[in-house]
Amino acid sequence: METMKMLIAFDGSENSFKAVEYVGNIARNCSGCEIVILYVERLPDKDLFNDDAAWEKQCAENEQAIKDKLAEAEKKLVSMGVNPGEVMTEYFASCKSPFHETDICSTGRSIGMDILRIREEGEYGTIVIGRRGVSKAEEFLFGSVSTKVVQSAVGCTVWVVN
Amino acid sequence: MSKEVRDLIKLHLPDYSGSRFGNLYTDTTEFMNIDFSDVIQLGDEHFLVSKNEMERRFGLDDPKYWVKRCKRLENGQPQILKLAFYEKFPMNIGPFKIECYRSPRKEARILDLVRGDMRFMQGYSDNDSAGNNVRVLDIIRGKRLDVWVHNIPVDHRTYFHEHFPEIFEKYIGACEAIKFLHDNDEKHGDVRRDHLWVEYGTGDYRWIDFDYAFELYENPFGLDVFGLGSILIYLVGKANLTSQTLHEYGIDPSMLSSFSPGDYSVIIGNRIVNLRKIYDYIPASLNNILMHFSSSSSVFYESVDELIFDMNNSLKEIRGL
Repeated sequence: METMKMLIAFDGSENSFKAVEYVGNIARNCSGCEIVILYVERLPDKDLFNDDAAWEKQCAENEQAIKDKLAEAEKKLVSMGVNPGEVMTEYFASCKSPFHETDICSTGRSIGMDILRIREEGEYGTIVIGRRGVSKAEEFLFGSVSTKVVQSAVGCTVWVVN
Repeated sequence: MSKEVRDLIKLHLPDYSGSRFGNLYTDTTEFMNIDFSDVIQLGDEHFLVSKNEMERRFGLDDPKYWVKRCKRLENGQPQILKLAFYEKFPMNIGPFKIECYRSPRKEARILDLVRGDMRFMQGYSDNDSAGNNVRVLDIIRGKRLDVWVHNIPVDHRTYFHEHFPEIFEKYIGACEAIKFLHDNDEKHGDVRRDHLWVEYGTGDYRWIDFDYAFELYENPFGLDVFGLGSILIYLVGKANLTSQTLHEYGIDPSMLSSFSPGDYSVIIGNRIVNLRKIYDYIPASLNNILMHFSSSSSVFYESVDELIFDMNNSLKEIRGL
């Protein structure tokens, strides 16, 4: 039986927890799944801070908060009956992170494209992503991760969870 | 302190006729206190302050206490000094409120990046004795592009056929300047009409004021692209035409009945984007660019590249008219 590999795009928001719950409802009765809960790091803009020390402090706080939520999401899946051995979390660090030095990193240009890159490299068959429900105007100004993923995905299934 | 200032002025400006001598400042933290006849020392350089710069807001002159009009004592050159001001304020774009931050080090970084590129204001930065970043800017002698366009004393048809092609070509160059920033992982942050100036003499289009910063979104350049589109709409229309102001431009307000909701801006609900409905000589290729910024569009420009590509194609068509 081929492994069902699923990538849950996660940002700690309520909508991304809905995506996690949706996967839990589907995967709890499966065996042979591989589920990765993925966070693509988006650092706070350094220009919003008076100095590097303040920026690094905020980066550290943000990272800890997200890792706590990733752990919470993992526990959620397990509590819904998903096999603990089949669930992983991945924190995909920014290239500009003050704490992580890695050649494989998020450029900060587009979270959506980073998700798709990881999907392709990891050969995940399914992406699951929460939808923020932004208006057309908001999407125009700020972009939309879920729209970017839907528009650009090739060779996989995308579940957008409301 | 006044004596020190007087001595400096006597040394560098022997013909100075002023009778008032202020204080010498090496620390600009309390910039509200720095005013006419004071001198700011920055490293080995000295700047005699003449006034605070003003910004017109809601018809009133609003003093910008952190921006000083100065004369550099060492060479007599007029300069603008922008002092560190860590302001946080909301910026309204249509129905949205975006938290903005004034970032001295962002502007300093961009000044370094664009040194010698005359599509941008020029200058340099240095820290004062307290570590505040101070930007020393060359003054652009010119006029805001929108004011310059507004003052062209012809009807729209004449404007569009005789003046707009050159304006459009130069504006494409200004968009390429913003593309340069994006290619270097910078953004302007406040692309709007009063931040693009036409320099006297050269006629060059020059961007100013790079100190705005805001939190990042999925598309970090979306706000800049929106700003470029807004300016383009203004340039094509020779004004921002709204449902309330058509009559001011000699356009029959009853024409409004021919507009559908999709003819207006996706962000600013009363701004007419589909200008071809008013001026039928605007080529479809150009109007199509404008319509990317309308509420009926299902495809938006994600990058300046895409916008520039379409504008260049349209320019070729316009030149051929």
